[in-house]
This record gives sequence, C-alpha cells and structure tokens, in this order.
Amino acid sequence: MEIPYVVTPRKDTGLFNSKIAIWLFLASEVMLFGGFFSAYVFLRLGADFPWPERTLPVLPGLINTFVLIGSSVTVVFAWASLKLRDWRKFQIFMGITVFCALIFMVLKGVEYNVKLHHQALRLKDYSVIEGHLGYETEDDKPVLDHKGNKIEENLINVETSKLTFNTVRFHKPWVEELLTQAEHRHSKIVLTADVSAITREGQAAEVIAKAGEPLSIELLNRIQKTHLAARSHNGVIRTAALRDEWKKAKAANPDKRGWQIADGVNIDMAVVTPQLLSEISTVAFTVDPSAHFDFHPRDIKPAATQSRLRDDTVIDGKLLDSPMVFHHVDAIDFQHLAMKAEEKGIDPEVAIENSWLIKNSPFAKQAWEWHQGEVAKLKAQLLKDYGADKDGKAIRFPTHKELYRIGWKDFAEKAEDEGRAKLAPADAFKEEFFGPNYEARGDETFPGFSVPREQVGFESKFTPAWNPYYAIYFTITGLHGLHVIGGALVLAYYLFFGRKMYLSNPEWLANRVEIGGLFWHFVDLVWIFVFPILYLM
Amino acid sequence: MADTPEAIKKSVRTYLFVGAILFIGTITTVLVATVPALDVGAHGFDKWDCILGLSIATIKASLVAFIFMHLNHEKKAVYWLFASGLCMVCSLAGLTALALGDPIFDKFFYSGH
Repeated sequence: MEIPYVVTPRKDTGLFNSKIAIWLFLASEVMLFGGFFSAYVFLRLGADFPWPERTLPVLPGLINTFVLIGSSVTVVFAWASLKLRDWRKFQIFMGITVFCALIFMVLKGVEYNVKLHHQALRLKDYSVIEGHLGYETEDDKPVLDHKGNKIEENLINVETSKLTFNTVRFHKPWVEELLTQAEHRHSKIVLTADVSAITREGQAAEVIAKAGEPLSIELLNRIQKTHLAARSHNGVIRTAALRDEWKKAKAANPDKRGWQIADGVNIDMAVVTPQLLSEISTVAFTVDPSAHFDFHPRDIKPAATQSRLRDDTVIDGKLLDSPMVFHHVDAIDFQHLAMKAEEKGIDPEVAIENSWLIKNSPFAKQAWEWHQGEVAKLKAQLLKDYGADKDGKAIRFPTHKELYRIGWKDFAEKAEDEGRAKLAPADAFKEEFFGPNYEARGDETFPGFSVPREQVGFESKFTPAWNPYYAIYFTITGLHGLHVIGGALVLAYYLFFGRKMYLSNPEWLANRVEIGGLFWHFVDLVWIFVFPILYLM
Repeated sequence: MADTPEAIKKSVRTYLFVGAILFIGTITTVLVATVPALDVGAHGFDKWDCILGLSIATIKASLVAFIFMHLNHEKKAVYWLFASGLCMVCSLAGLTALALGDPIFDKFFYSGH
C-alpha cells in the first residue's frame, strides 16, 4: 500500500504529512522545555540558599554550543545536497552532523562524571566544603567491598552487638551486605532466641526457627510468611468479632446514631485471643562476636547506643567515630553561612571568623586570610576602574560569591602566590574539563581534611540531591541529551541506510532528512537557551 | 521554500552567513558574561546581564527558527501549530509568575520563625 502525501503536499495544508506531524511534535516539545525553564525561574527566585551562579565550567559548554551550531549548519547542507541529488556530499555533511552529536555527548558525559564524583558537605553552621573523599586502604591498597567497589571514607561505623529486623520491611540487599561484612570481620549473625509461633488456630506454639540459626534471607522470608499469614488470619477474626459486637449494639440501641454508640463497641479480647495466631513483627539476631559494621549515611539514623536503618532494622551497639575524610578539599564556601548571618543581622565576617571550620582548620584559616587580601585588592581595583558615587561609596563592588567563596581556582592561585610551580598549559587546559588536578598541584594546594560526624549537616555528591539548582540542571540537560541521542540516531539511520531510498525515490529521502533536520535544529535551539541560563547566569 | 536547484544554491550562502552570526553571538554572550570590562549593569551577574544574555539567545534562536527551520516562508498550518505551542508556554510562564505571589515566598514562612 502506498503511503499518501509523503512526497507531494496535501492540497488543504500545502504540506506533506510528515511535516505537519513534526511541527505538531515540536509544538509539544516547546511546551515541555518551556515548562522546565519556568520551573527553573520559579526555583531560582524562590531559593532560600545562595544560588550557584556561574558555577559550571564554561569551556566545555562553549565547545558544545559551537558543536551544535556547526551541526545545525551541516544538517541543512546535507538536506540541500540531497535536493541537488549529490549523494556524496550528503554523506559528508550528515557524517559531520552525527560526529558532532558524538562529541557533544562525550563532553556532556565528562561533565556529568565530574559532578557525580565530586563531594559537597554542608556543615551544621552552613559553611560548605567541596572536594574528594578518601578511600579505606590496607597496606596501601584500597579495600574493596563485596561488589568490588572501593570503600569510601564516608561511612557510619557501629560496633554492632545485636540486629533486630522488621520482618515485613527488611531490605534484602542490606541484609546481604550485613552478611558480607560479618564474614569480612570474622563474625557470625545468629538468631538470639527460639522463634515460636502458633501457626494453626487452637494449637500450641511451635518452634519455627531455633536459637543460633544463622541469619539468611531464606530464614527472614520464612518468618515473614508466618507473620503475614497470621496477620491475615487475625484480621478476619477481629473483623468478624467487631461486626458481631456492632450488630448487638445496634439491636440494643435502635434509636441511636452510629457515632453515639461507637465508644461502647469493643471486642472482648478474652474471647478472641484463643483464636488468634502469632504475629512476629520483629526478630532479633546476635552478632557474635560483636563487630564493626559500616553503613552509608543515607541509610542510617545514627544514635549513641541504638541506631536505626531506613528499613526499620534496629542496630544495637556503640556508635564509633565516623568522620568524613576528604583526601582533597578544593573549595570552601561561606556564602550560605553569610546569608544566614545577614538574615539574623550578624556581620558575615564575624560569623565566618567564628565558624567551626576557621577555628579547627589552620588551612581554612590561612586560605580565608589570603582570600580577604584578594577581596581587598578587588575592591580597590573596582574603585579605581569605576570610581565612587557622590556619597563616596564604590559604584561597583564584589559579588557575594567573590566575597565568600574560595574556589579551586583561588586555591591554585594562592599556591602560585606562595611560590609553588604553575601547571603546564596543557594540564591547565585539561583542568577546565576535568576539574582540579590534585596530583600535579599537590597536597599543599588541595590538602586533606577530616570532619567529625557531629559537624556534618548535609552531604551529597553534586547530584540533584545537593540542591534544586543541580536538580533542574540534570533534568534540563539530561532531557536535552536524550534528544541529542534520539536525533543523532535518526540522522545516522538516514546516513547509513538511506542509499536504497535515494536510488528509488530521492525526494522522499530529502523530505525525511528535512524532518530529521527540523528536529535537530530544535535541539540546537533549546541549547541556545540552556547554555547562557545554566552556565553563564 | 527554496525548491529549485538555483534557489537552494543561493540559500546555502545564507545558511553559512547565519552560522557565522550564531558563532559570533555565542562568543559575545560568553564575553559579556566573563570579561569584567564588558559587564553591563552592576559588577557580576544582575538583571541587565540576564536581559542582554537572553536577548542574544532569542536573536540566535529566531535565526535558527526562521532560516534553518524555514519559518520565514512556511505554510499557514505550521505557523498556527508553532504559535499555539508558544502561547501555551507563555501562559505557563505567566502562571509561574502568579505563583511567585504565593505566601510560601514570604519570609515568615521560610525563615523558621
């Protein structure tokens, strides 16, 4: 069957059908991205934290903009080549377009990777430290967990003696993790006491698991099954009993409304209890001998003697020192602290001088003093360049970010001021993409630092969890990235599988390329807004 | 729409020219955002930088839409479709602006008093 109007235009619209379809689709895309840009404005204007202004590396964003603009030109050339029936040129231009899409995604991948491995920490007083965490080592070799991942030094350590699982909510991967850790520490997790239960109505309790039985998923599942069966059975019994009581109360008080008799309707538990089965909502295990277990901070609510996991597992044991160990600190940011101080009418400088970081880290103190010198120089420069108003106040003054943030470039500049060697231009260029080069610049430039757990306010990698800026950044750029991949796949399909159609019906292929090209231009058009909004504002 | 070979050959030059303007526009956007001497308004990012940056972006986006996507000589149906999308976006942005008058933006609500 021939598809109508793929080459020739329809009389009523004056367009071939696929063109109407792509424009309908693009109109919906305009609304989709428009919605996210609105969300961005909403989040930014409503932010109760210092919005990370001009925080992304400009160079990769700029290169990606050039790449997309270039590919927009080449895709339109590819279409023109088809119209002029020049297959060879079409191949060249479409090849360049697809290659540009590849470069774009590689650069985006690098950018994401840097973010997802970069740690941020907000202390309780709202100072922020950024950098890279250390990894546990033994004989200079990183310690690996059972999945072969390096164990990051950002874990909560508990000297565990007892674990009590919620038989319904226990999270299987965490139980497996506990078993692995116990094996690693030469310890055993065994059932503390016999678990006995009435599993049939009117019969005596029977032991379903014996004390000393080792922890396993199978054992927890078995207990869970008994528990759920009992709950279901007991529910039916209780409901039936309550219904009977309700009927009796209604019969005894025919002229009263339901709510007036509700208080007096209660089940006689002495009658019901013999019919009930045993519910086992928790089950306790002993860790023998007690062992040091690590937990991810996001999974645990730590407490001095009894901590709790998110799946309601109770951990009995002493909470050990669990510092967050930064092997390299690459930024110290007092913007949030200064903002909080200003809200309370406190001088931000005084608040910073009294911050935990300045009092406990000689490096932070020294960096802050150096930074204040730089700010003074900047203020003098702005006054010199732009002058003062008639009240003698400088017309231009440093931004909040310049005043209160010491970024990795500042650390590098400080090190150079102190006489440490500059990086070779090639290495410095690489830093624009991959972030600070700790090996080349050394530990003096980006020193290590250990933060006691009690000072940790909130910590995260630079993921959507860190703040709404990163949430909207990943949403918009991620969605745009998916469009780049989708568009590139369609264009690559025309490039690699279009020859047959070119020979049989070149105009149809030209129309298809025009449709693919329209989508590709739209992807470029969105990026034209994404780049200044997310990278430069 | 440029459909004859001559017209297409002619429009290729336009495409190149527009591509060059887009490159220049991008460089300008980056320069005004990063070079202090070219900074408009107050020092650092402020509403004037926002207006300038978005104006350049809008010009660039219009060039892509009108020249590369051929909106400068399209059929009526396309304009209706695209304009309806844009109208919806503007309404959405308008609704967002209304939301900014919501009391949750009041200091009383978020400063923990």
